Amino acid sequence: MSVKLRNIKKILIANRGEIALRIIRTVKELGLEAIAVYEKPDSESNHIRSADDAIMIGDRPRKEYLDIDRIIWAARKSGADAIHPGYGFLSENADFSEACEKAGIIFIGPPPQVIRDMGNKVVARGIMEKAGVPTIPGTGDLAPGEAGALQAKEFAEKYGYPLMLKAAAGGGGRGIRKIANWEELKIQLPLVRAETRTAFNDDRIYIEKCIESPRHIEIQILADYHANVIHLGSRDCSIQRRHQKLLEIAPADLPPNVLEAMYDAAIKGAKQAGYVNAGTVEFLVDSKTDEFWFMEMNTRLQVEHTVTEELTGVDIVRQQIRIAEGNVLDIPAERVHMLGKAVQVRINAEDPKNNFMPEGGKTLEVYHSPGGPGVRLDGVVYQGYRIPTDYDSLMVKMTVRGYNWEQTIQRLKRSLNNFLIVGPKTTIPFYLAICDEPDFQAGKFDTSYLETHQQLFDYPEQEREVAKLTKLIAEIHARAMNPYAY
Amino acid sequence: MEKASQNVFDERVTPRELREKGAKYIIDKLKRNEGYYVTNTERDLSQSDFKNRIMPHTQLLVARERNTSGFFSLEISGGASVHVDMLRKQMNPLEKLQVLAENMPDTLFQNLCRGINLFGYRPYPENVIRLTVQSFARYVHVWRVFDFLNHIPNMLAVFEEVKRAGCILEPSICFSTGPEHTDEYYVKKVGEILDVTGEDIILCIKNHGGLGTPRRIGQLVKAILNKYPDLLIHYHGHNSDGNDVGRIIEAVINGAKIVDASDHAFTGFFGPPPIITVVDSLAEYGYRAVGLDRQAVVDASNILRPEREHYRDFESQFLGFDPTVQVHKLPGGATGSSFEQAVKGGFLSRMPEILQKELPRVQVELGNWWSVTPGSQILWTTAVNNVLKGVRYKDASDDLKNLMLGRYGELPFYKPSDEIYKAVFGADWKDYVDCNYCYQKIENVDLDVEKKILERRLGRQASEDELVLYLQHPNDAVNFFKFESKYGKTWVLPPYVWFKKGGFNLGEKFEITDAYGKAHSIEIGPQRKTKSGDAVTYFVVDHHTEPIYTEMEQEGEGRTGSSAQLKKKVSISVKELADLAKAGDIRAQLSGTVNEIPVSEGNEVSAGQVLIVLEAMKMLTNVISEINGKVTEVIVSPGDKVDIGDSLMTITKS
Repeated sequence: MSVKLRNIKKILIANRGEIALRIIRTVKELGLEAIAVYEKPDSESNHIRSADDAIMIGDRPRKEYLDIDRIIWAARKSGADAIHPGYGFLSENADFSEACEKAGIIFIGPPPQVIRDMGNKVVARGIMEKAGVPTIPGTGDLAPGEAGALQAKEFAEKYGYPLMLKAAAGGGGRGIRKIANWEELKIQLPLVRAETRTAFNDDRIYIEKCIESPRHIEIQILADYHANVIHLGSRDCSIQRRHQKLLEIAPADLPPNVLEAMYDAAIKGAKQAGYVNAGTVEFLVDSKTDEFWFMEMNTRLQVEHTVTEELTGVDIVRQQIRIAEGNVLDIPAERVHMLGKAVQVRINAEDPKNNFMPEGGKTLEVYHSPGGPGVRLDGVVYQGYRIPTDYDSLMVKMTVRGYNWEQTIQRLKRSLNNFLIVGPKTTIPFYLAICDEPDFQAGKFDTSYLETHQQLFDYPEQEREVAKLTKLIAEIHARAMNPYAY
Repeated sequence: MEKASQNVFDERVTPRELREKGAKYIIDKLKRNEGYYVTNTERDLSQSDFKNRIMPHTQLLVARERNTSGFFSLEISGGASVHVDMLRKQMNPLEKLQVLAENMPDTLFQNLCRGINLFGYRPYPENVIRLTVQSFARYVHVWRVFDFLNHIPNMLAVFEEVKRAGCILEPSICFSTGPEHTDEYYVKKVGEILDVTGEDIILCIKNHGGLGTPRRIGQLVKAILNKYPDLLIHYHGHNSDGNDVGRIIEAVINGAKIVDASDHAFTGFFGPPPIITVVDSLAEYGYRAVGLDRQAVVDASNILRPEREHYRDFESQFLGFDPTVQVHKLPGGATGSSFEQAVKGGFLSRMPEILQKELPRVQVELGNWWSVTPGSQILWTTAVNNVLKGVRYKDASDDLKNLMLGRYGELPFYKPSDEIYKAVFGADWKDYVDCNYCYQKIENVDLDVEKKILERRLGRQASEDELVLYLQHPNDAVNFFKFESKYGKTWVLPPYVWFKKGGFNLGEKFEITDAYGKAHSIEIGPQRKTKSGDAVTYFVVDHHTEPIYTEMEQEGEGRTGSSAQLKKKVSISVKELADLAKAGDIRAQLSGTVNEIPVSEGNEVSAGQVLIVLEAMKMLTNVISEINGKVTEVIVSPGDKVDIGDSLMTITKS
């Protein structure tokens, strides 16, 4: 496939929050114009301020960002010649990619058919098998209602429990459940279907054999319209909760021959799929044997792309734009260097002790962020920011890079301690507990890490001493005397 | 010069020596050295002239100077200070000692212990006394122990524990004046003490009122030493009549080896006299203050001088010496507080009558024993009641009744007259007193049970130190522990901040080092009032703005209990939510949107059944019934936004 070289001048970012800002930053570096869109309840969001223009696309939270017509309308209105979808929302929606194409707007991402193929896990698996990439046994889309349940039962009888119930259109950990028995399957089938419908506007679900306590390793690739595919190395995303990634590391700690085999599989798979733009091939890796299976391919920019960027120095968003313009990839594979170790943590307004309950509605009374060597922050929060109840609880992503794993952990710990957040509970004390945990320090972790290290949740809930003292000074001030001294 | 200063250090006694060589070694060393030693009675200075308020911040300011002064000891704990540390200074009295010990490693710490009444006002069970002494003995090297009736059994448990802990025991004879207070009586009392303690003690003459003339004190010291020439005598006095320096001089001339005084920058009227005056006067008589660095004592006062203004509120309502103390005999520590009570109670004009007529009369009527805690409170309260009520001994306090029933020990000289008994106990007093007269027997408490009660009140585990403090003053200790968990270790605050009245100025800035050694800057920013009357102050803490919410108690009319309750912010824990769910009160465990309600009112539900599906952050979460029962009320509908703790549904248990 080849395309004419087209110059992009104005990019609409069909997303919100930190990823919108992340994209805008590169757009501005390239000297292009950035257009933000927002839903009315999201009008406080800071990504709007950094764009050249912002367009309100409707009133309904989490609906307008998913509304293809509204986004195309906004692009037309603003005169944008390209759209970057970010992650989530419409980023892996083939119809959207297609609608952009039809409207004559460049979609910064893969062509519709690739999204469609990779978006359907069953089709994706077929393509990978054809390319010689190992895959996990699984069913096709389950029929709705009773028939689907029976289909699932049959599969379970053949491969046994536990198994994974997944949304065909799923991604980012949404619409995935581990099922332990038939009873649970019966309950979860309709729930996951409903959740999937809300999240992806597509309620197809399927079943896969569950690989117990695997490692979750993914390969970042870049592919241009001229059949060049390169990889930017690996990421270890094993540390998750409820199948949502918490902490990502690049590169993965695997023997070089295993990594080479995975790079090779990822590139072959991408080529087989006719992949264009940035994408991620996710693998499950057996923690003991290092055997790996294709899990899925994400046809978008990922939340954790930052670790790869920090490690390689490659600006993935910049490459996405260049690829979308029709340029030939100008990073020869042999010039992709990977120095040290990078780790990203998602600083969420959540209470880890209370099942990571979101702290929506709380205000960041104080927000102070770290800096110094090896620290990168991607976030849109500020002092006075109210954690939205309509959107997710991610406040800021912090990526740190060190020369080796030991330094990276020390740096991570130091910079986590340098955060000062008053208001919502955060995941920071939990990450600090991880930093001190010996298995983590030894690089020994897989997807069961949180379940097998429950002591991580015993961190003390500590209020800063100075905050307590200030509370008393405030009282002495407000009451015009110290009630505890007289 | 080098040699001379080396000698000064050799003459001194230190915690290290006590630890390594024991109490007897220290006592012998004190006896051996020519001259006398000085105890800095800061605790009594603070209690008598500043209502016990001298703050740790101030003590730490001069820790270095005091440590190099070469005192025999620094009296820094005991008396009412343990209580006031928690009640008004919001500091753990044991932590105070630990912090000061770190900053004054070469100085022996001394306390004042009321024997069976320890650091409170009423007798404690024996196991509490022993545990308390064990706890405080980690920091207190010299234990000055007394009983207000000089009743030795009231001090025995403390004596034993102090010796067991390897500390220096300093039993006291309380001193007063009057026909019964003869040398013979006191010498005999000393003998009784030595019978139970043995020779290796320091004997304190505790002149808490600053009573008697210099001549009288000199005679007493002489009389005791005549009988017990090897005894080490520590004279403790108060300067209420302005003449304690005279008494100290006579005490030393007649052989006392240790005397009490304190920093001149803080000396007032009812506490100890200034160290330098004592030292310089005695030098003229040819007596040397052993180990003392005079310049360090002066330096400490130079540092303390500017601090005194922050304590102005706590100096006595009436300044000036009070020679009439020889008549009313109130101890130094009670003089300031008696005037405070008189002001608060509106009977200031009757004070001359109370102090100079009624109090001495009551004193004689009740047995002419020693006016010191808790006896001084009994005498004072009785005298005030007698004057204010116009009828003498009406509605006598339980403490007075207990005293008259022999609960605290035999009265030393004589019992009150029948008339007084009749006035206190009524017409048939005789039968009652005959049946009830006996020495108190206080049962030991179950320490494990007490600890559990404390932990329940705190909602967390309690340390043994916390138990000890709780056993002294249960409610005030619990309040303090709660204060500390909310406000942290506020003893780092300077008195300027701690005692500030009328609010701070906008832009005022404090550099404060917290108890963990971290330096902070705190700047006062603007303040606004919320609609509900609460205050929000914007601080700049370590260079960032931090709004702090202060809930103000609402006073006045128009504020019913229920609306005040409504106003109270609901904060509900996961455990509480779970408990409520078990009772059928179904509430939101997360803030989100109601997605679906599969049941309706009147439905029978069973445990495990889905009641409501909530949606938050794009995840569906089932709210599941914990119990079997019937849906009696559905409060929300699909699409409703709910917050944590909002009621969703009510289930009535079947």
